[in-house]
Amino acid sequence: MRMRPRRVVPERSVLGPVDLAAEALAGMLQRPGRSLLTMLGTVLGVGAFVAVLGLTSTATGQIGARFDALRNTTVVVNDAGTSREPGPVGFPSDADARITALNGATSAGVWWMVPLRRPIIGATATVTAGSHANAGDVPVLAASPGLFAVTAPAMRSGTLFNRSHEHRRAQVAVLGAAAARQLGIAQLNAQPAVFINGLPFTIVGIIDDVARVPDLLMGITVPRSTAERLFPPPDPGSRPAQMVIQTERGAAQLVARQAPVALRPDAPARLRAVPPPDPRSLRDEVDTDLAGLFLALAGISLVIGAVGIANTTLVAVLERVQEIGLRRSLGARPRHVAVQFLTESTALGLLGGLIGTAAGVGAVLAVAIVRQWTAILEPAAVLPGPVIGALVGMVAGAYPAIRAARIEPLEALRR
Amino acid sequence: MTSGPATERPPTAPAVIRLRGVSRTYPGPPEVTALRPADLVVARGDYVAVVGPSGSGKSTLLNLLGLLDRPSTGSYDLDGVDVGALAERDRTALRGSRIGFVFQTFHLLPHRTAAENVMLAQVYNGTARARRRPAAVAALSQVGLGHRIDSLPTTLSGGECQRVAIARALVNAPALLLCDEPTGNLDSGNAARLLDLLDALNAGGLTLVVITHAAEVADRAQRVISIKDGTLSKARTREER
Ligand SMILES: Nc1ncnc2c1ncn2[C@@H]1O[C@H](COP(=O)(O)OP(=O)(O)OP(=O)(O)O)[C@@H](O)[C@H]1O
Ligand SMILES: [Mg+2]
Repeated sequence: MRMRPRRVVPERSVLGPVDLAAEALAGMLQRPGRSLLTMLGTVLGVGAFVAVLGLTSTATGQIGARFDALRNTTVVVNDAGTSREPGPVGFPSDADARITALNGATSAGVWWMVPLRRPIIGATATVTAGSHANAGDVPVLAASPGLFAVTAPAMRSGTLFNRSHEHRRAQVAVLGAAAARQLGIAQLNAQPAVFINGLPFTIVGIIDDVARVPDLLMGITVPRSTAERLFPPPDPGSRPAQMVIQTERGAAQLVARQAPVALRPDAPARLRAVPPPDPRSLRDEVDTDLAGLFLALAGISLVIGAVGIANTTLVAVLERVQEIGLRRSLGARPRHVAVQFLTESTALGLLGGLIGTAAGVGAVLAVAIVRQWTAILEPAAVLPGPVIGALVGMVAGAYPAIRAARIEPLEALRR
Repeated sequence: MTSGPATERPPTAPAVIRLRGVSRTYPGPPEVTALRPADLVVARGDYVAVVGPSGSGKSTLLNLLGLLDRPSTGSYDLDGVDVGALAERDRTALRGSRIGFVFQTFHLLPHRTAAENVMLAQVYNGTARARRRPAAVAALSQVGLGHRIDSLPTTLSGGECQRVAIARALVNAPALLLCDEPTGNLDSGNAARLLDLLDALNAGGLTLVVITHAAEVADRAQRVISIKDGTLSKARTREER
């Protein structure tokens, strides 16, 4: 007769996922204060990580939003001059037209600061050097009409001077809002004039706002041809003549390369074209200078966080030697013990990562609100936070978990 | 057959424990032979006390019986299974499901209620979660703690804690209850009540091996085995004492 094989050994020991989660949670809640302190390093590290990446993308986004339109479409050409001595302006009188003929250049204008030594400037012809009404510190600028196309001024009143004024070398002027205030000129109905060293200039317009060349707001702008006729040429040493070119998107680098030759085929070296900074190098600057430092700090915090978790978990293992022995006597396998402690440390790290992520996002939002920026939080900056926390916890818990698994039940229960 | 000084009445009931020439030597250094080759048969429903002075090898024997340790020589059949041939994971599973432990220090988890402490014994043997609490409540009722099911150990007396530990050992309906100085931390009144409980469990058919140096504990057993310097002596039955 054949013996019926008896089922001699029960099913292998198990630790179901629900039980594992419950045991790990109980372990964490056993000492909630300690668990919170343990998480602190991870919270700081992950928080710094998320904040740095979030602030970087937010700040870069602002740079992009605000400057892309202007800076990336602006080329500046400086008149390097032939010597330190003032001489004729390096830009030909038809400079604006030469540049706008180039592909990708939409408008262009020349301007310079007129170097006047102790000028007498006032709203009437009777102003003298010592008089209270002398606004001698108001700068005088020379500009080609094309500059207004480049800078798109907002008019408070009146108009801008044009090609015909330039042609006729007319004694007309456009006032910046600040200069108008200083001269006490608010309205143009009475056809007011400004007197520069006794020379009258009819004020054709007052401007309020301007792009690219903010100096226009501060001073009195006259046609370049008029300035060349009446005033000394620009000083190449301190404030050289400058051309500002507006280009189409993406054309700035090309226009910058072509501009000197187009303007001065005879002496292109005299002119120095400055293209806008490469947007990528701008981003790199932000990344390397600031973010690099903070990411390093975040990394250090994470290491500290890992050490903290490792330390706490190890202490918990040593404190709970008897519990481990008991679990073994109740049928727990070493791996069940290990996975329980590993889950605890991983959960601590995950929780720290979640809190840190929330704190980092909060920091980015706070900065964005204060600076009136648009907060830009890319998934690549936010989503890794909790994952990094969990990984830190898992790595930190590995050694304590192995220690826990090696505890001999009989040693533990003897105590 | 291995020879050993311990001798046995041939048991009539099927054996829960059968040791043949089992010894245990701790490698040291210094090398300690804590248990000399011994034969022992514990039948189903038996109540055996192991008595001996400190350091005589009682805990060593208990660890071997409880599958917490492997003998240096000899063979051990638990409930008809040669456990020496089993892999560690199978011994662990067998320990969790077929053996109940009661320790001198109760080894209760302080932050968990009586019921939760009992239910811990059901985690690793795969008892369905829904079935655990009813079984734990039944086990606690069996040890007279039906009214303290949700109490924390810190609010229980020593005697009550030990009852929780016994309920935990019973909840999986083990073939064998191993007790190491179960009254060691109890006053005489609580100790007597605990021994009454063990008597009742044995009367219900449970196989008991109790290690003790207390005479009043040994007096309750059907058979008493003395151990001295790692040598088991002949078991004395109640009638022989
Ligand atoms: N892990 C071990 N390594 C080495 N020697 C051990 C080990 N465990 C026990 N011993 C020794 O084996 C002998 C028996 O120890 P055991 O713990 O079995 O005694 P016991 O009878 O339980 O004593 P007590 O009544 O004090 O608990 C003692 O001499 C002890 O020192
Ligand atoms: Mg002992």
